[in-house]
Amino acid sequence: MKKTVLGLNLDYFIRAMIFSLIAMVSVFLPYTSAEGHTYSLLNAATTIAGTTEKSGLFVVVILSFVLSVVTGVVSLLAFKWTSVGIVRIWTILVAVQTAAYTILMFSTKIIMETSGIYSDFLNSHLGIGYWAGIISSFIALAFCMKMAGINRGYIILVIMGVIWVFPILWILLTALRAEQGYYVGYFFPHKLTLKNFTDLFSKQSVLPFGKWWVNTMVVALFSCVINTMIILGTSFTLSRTRFSGRKAFMNILMIIGMFPGFMSLIAVYNILKGLGMNQSLVALIVVSAAGAAMAYHISKGFFDTIPKAVDEAALIDGASRLQIFFRIILPLSKSIIVYTVLGNFLAAWSDYIFPSMLFGDKQSSYTVAVGLYWLTDFRRIDTYYTQFAAGAVVVAIPIVVLFVWLQRFYVEGLSGAVKG
Amino acid sequence: MENEYKKRNLITIFTKGDIFSKLSYVVCGLANIRHGQRIKGILFLAAEVLYILFMVMRGGGLLRNLMTLGDQVQGMNLNEELGIYEMTPGDNSMLILLSGVVAIVITIAFIGVWGFSIFSGEKARYNATRGKHVNSFVEDVISLASGNVHFSLLAIPVVGLTIFTVTPLIYMILMAFTNYDQDHQPPGNLFDWVGLKNFFTLLSAGDRLSSTFWPVLGWTLIWGFAATFTCYFGGMIVAMIINSKGIKLKKLWRTLFVVVMAVPGFISLRVVATMLGERGIINVLLQQWGFTDHALPFLTNVTWARFSVIAVNFWIGVPVTMLMVSGILMNIPEELYESARLDGAGPITMFRKITFPYMWFVTTPYLIANLISNFNNFNTIYFLTGGEPHTLDYFKGAGKTDLLVTWLYKLTKDSNDYNLAATIGIIIFVISAVFTLISFSRSGAIKNEEGFQ
Repeated sequence: MKKTVLGLNLDYFIRAMIFSLIAMVSVFLPYTSAEGHTYSLLNAATTIAGTTEKSGLFVVVILSFVLSVVTGVVSLLAFKWTSVGIVRIWTILVAVQTAAYTILMFSTKIIMETSGIYSDFLNSHLGIGYWAGIISSFIALAFCMKMAGINRGYIILVIMGVIWVFPILWILLTALRAEQGYYVGYFFPHKLTLKNFTDLFSKQSVLPFGKWWVNTMVVALFSCVINTMIILGTSFTLSRTRFSGRKAFMNILMIIGMFPGFMSLIAVYNILKGLGMNQSLVALIVVSAAGAAMAYHISKGFFDTIPKAVDEAALIDGASRLQIFFRIILPLSKSIIVYTVLGNFLAAWSDYIFPSMLFGDKQSSYTVAVGLYWLTDFRRIDTYYTQFAAGAVVVAIPIVVLFVWLQRFYVEGLSGAVKG
Repeated sequence: MENEYKKRNLITIFTKGDIFSKLSYVVCGLANIRHGQRIKGILFLAAEVLYILFMVMRGGGLLRNLMTLGDQVQGMNLNEELGIYEMTPGDNSMLILLSGVVAIVITIAFIGVWGFSIFSGEKARYNATRGKHVNSFVEDVISLASGNVHFSLLAIPVVGLTIFTVTPLIYMILMAFTNYDQDHQPPGNLFDWVGLKNFFTLLSAGDRLSSTFWPVLGWTLIWGFAATFTCYFGGMIVAMIINSKGIKLKKLWRTLFVVVMAVPGFISLRVVATMLGERGIINVLLQQWGFTDHALPFLTNVTWARFSVIAVNFWIGVPVTMLMVSGILMNIPEELYESARLDGAGPITMFRKITFPYMWFVTTPYLIANLISNFNNFNTIYFLTGGEPHTLDYFKGAGKTDLLVTWLYKLTKDSNDYNLAATIGIIIFVISAVFTLISFSRSGAIKNEEGFQ
């Protein structure tokens, strides 16, 4: 056939049709085979329909069966009367069919066991018909999308999206779960509650979570402001000025950076003790500020992309270097400032090793990272799991919102002031 | 003449200078005072006097103690640490070492001031003898805002790094050459210099320690490469898909991944660790869905655990790479793709011939930095498995997913074998240094920082 239809790439038509037909045929092939009984998708649908106790997921079986047949028919119709509209419908049908087949992989056991067809089902009992069905659905979907000019990246994005969101969803649901405890045999909570959150902040609570949160907030605010000033000052100096010892300074920083940082924490701890600052939040701020300059690379790279001519013009006009820094470079560097502030704010929230070493068992000074880690110890996890989840959500939400809101600056900060 | 001045070094300043220049090698700041920079000269002199006072009263003793690391095991003794007097039962080798390091750092700092004063004096002499203007103290202070801005802006970082990074680092490096382990804990016991013994026990074959070290090092390297490259390619593919034509709601897709990245690491890792447990939700669901009839040992079996940490790291790392790569992808000139398309290149050819070479060129330094940071990826391992599963084959504490860094941490925190921890730290440094050197030789971007302009 040598047809052309505007808006369709018919090179893939035959292949899409073949796989749609394979999916249609596979409903008659063995879908499950265990405990001596073999069912095709058609058989399974009729058998389950006859049983008294049906799982709600039974709909998916029907859907897979009906859609497989329908798409097969539609593909034949499309062969006869090719048009953009029918291919669109075909693509949507195949997409739903693929989704239904995929869900079957996760629900066959439940469907079969609720209906009493099998008593102990495993996915390894899925038959050739099922695998042929799901694989040809996916392939047919890919060809249909190609034919209709839809980006096939959607398939990968949807699958990855589900996997990536899964743990996030789980922690949100756990935070809202009324049933306490670490082990539950289901994903969606049976009862929702906000008690985990209120418990976390209540006065009677054994956990001083509110205090932890305030501690971390104070440390994070101070250190993101101080560290940002130090980092920007350092990278400005290293990027815009030339002085003897500059290369040596950068090399020393690089060499220091190659030692694992917390190797020397014990010594830092002793120095802090000598200065009388151990077990205090000030120590956290001071130590993180002291090491901040090491992270000058990204902002230096950013400053390097601002043309030198800007400085030279300002110098001729009689500006001092500090004026150049504050009046010219900083206003041009909004994205790197946001990037640095954000990075340091986040780092303060996540820092675990040093605070845990610094505070030992002084619970009232804990930061959230230390506190929440302490909660997931195997001795406490059963008692506090839902509260841990609530705490995690409380900590994560402001940061996620901040991050999503400012992500533009994050990307810009990485790629330089002047666009190529 | 200007040239002659520039070539000055510590020797030529001495031989060519006048009597004040020569004397200022012993009495700091004399040349400055002679040539009109009185306040500056007096400050240099004050620094020298303070240093000498410190060395006479305290520092000399500290440095002498450093030789022996203390010899008095028992008895009451007056001990000092940064100016605070403490009564301890016997010499405390650890404090002796630490205060000795402080004395060394102060000495190095003084040598710096000394050298600076000599060059400053020479400059004053040069200008004065040629009838040029000699900066007054006020002018010097004002120059801190412009010509000498590096002094004012780098002062805080330098002081901070010296106190909280360099000093502890020297202390820990020295510790690798002592026997400060479980059996030599101050203040009860003394420890002493042992030379390179720790390195030999750790690296030589046959010892129980070395039969822990080499497998842990091996796993660290495997982990580093696997973690880096899975995330690199994964992130690149995701970024390319999201950026490709015909994907709608690009921002929404990107945000979906960014959310995972924004959740602080310790939270997402702890959450995933609880999910992967024997009674965790993933095992529960896998059994409910009929994928398996028994709990899978995600974090308890060696092979499973190693794959799990790499997979979880993939989950966390892909959004990071995706975000970084997005910016670079948009910078690839569109004309390249257009001409490739005209020549009939498919998407795979375009990736192989255009996108990937471009990305590879731009991101090599990032990739190597990433590799080094993955060798030292404490968080992922510590929060996810804590180095477990444990094994009897390994020296105390180390588990099968332990990296060198997490083992180092355990050695300091749990078993107090500081000498071994320090030795491992130095070995990690060597590994990082090797990879950094490779990156330097491969990449013009680092060497040639003026290249862009």
